[in-house]
Amino acid sequence: MTEEVKLTEQESFKIITEMIEKARNSSTGNGIGPLVWGILITFCSLETYAQIEFNFDLSFDVWWLALIALLPQIFYAWRNKKQRNFRSHDEVVLNYVWVTFAICMFLLSHYASQFPTNHYISLAMILYGVPTFITGAIKKFTPMLVGGIICWVCSIISCHTSIKISMLLSAVSAISAWLIPGIILRRKYLGLKHV
Amino acid sequence: MFKELDPILHSQLRLAVMSLLISVKEAEFTFIKEKTNATAGNLSVQVQKLKEAGYIEVAKQFKDNYPLTTCMITKKGVAAFEAYVQALKEYLQVGNNRVS
Repeated sequence: MTEEVKLTEQESFKIITEMIEKARNSSTGNGIGPLVWGILITFCSLETYAQIEFNFDLSFDVWWLALIALLPQIFYAWRNKKQRNFRSHDEVVLNYVWVTFAICMFLLSHYASQFPTNHYISLAMILYGVPTFITGAIKKFTPMLVGGIICWVCSIISCHTSIKISMLLSAVSAISAWLIPGIILRRKYLGLKHV
Repeated sequence: MFKELDPILHSQLRLAVMSLLISVKEAEFTFIKEKTNATAGNLSVQVQKLKEAGYIEVAKQFKDNYPLTTCMITKKGVAAFEAYVQALKEYLQVGNNRVS
């Protein structure tokens, strides 16, 4: 891009639109975070469903995988942040939203360990919906908005079902809130990378 | 009577820099260079002009022993950009009316 070029009004508008579009595309996430969480929560939910349905028991609680998977996620997010050469307006807000979600999930797990309840997963799905819906609204990303709403609908239904069916609903929530949006984001990211 | 287009913004590279900076909270020099495809020398000159006009803030620091320049749009810059876009709209509106 050179400096001393006489601009027409149309050219000015074209530059503005092009640059805003470039900045917006740079803010598109790579989809790794939602993909990993989507796969993990879906797997944990289906595994728990299978345990109840086929009456077997693992020697460990499969939901611990979710906590273990947090470590590489944190490392990946930290490395990604270090490598990025810009900061978007909504990044700071969304970071706080997801940290709040992680803290609330931890507190909910603690609560459930103190006061065991069969409806733990209904409460968890309410929480799944919160950061997902906010992210979808801020990023204007409809799949996450819809995903958040599906989490809440599944939560309502799960109040009236057995724990076994609730686990299936939990898998549906994870697929809609994270797995599908993650796949869409990943494809978009890879598509932009090749442009 | 038309508003005069801000001469600081009515230039290809400076307008591109401002359009990028209005879309993000802050951006490193390398990000702006990559998105505008400008040369480092030319970009430095234009960034300096925007800084002198008070439209952007430029922070220089070190990261891993390398100099790091970060740019951020100011309130004055946002106001100037909005006024520029408004003036452009008026010009284009009149152009469209003449055609029709």
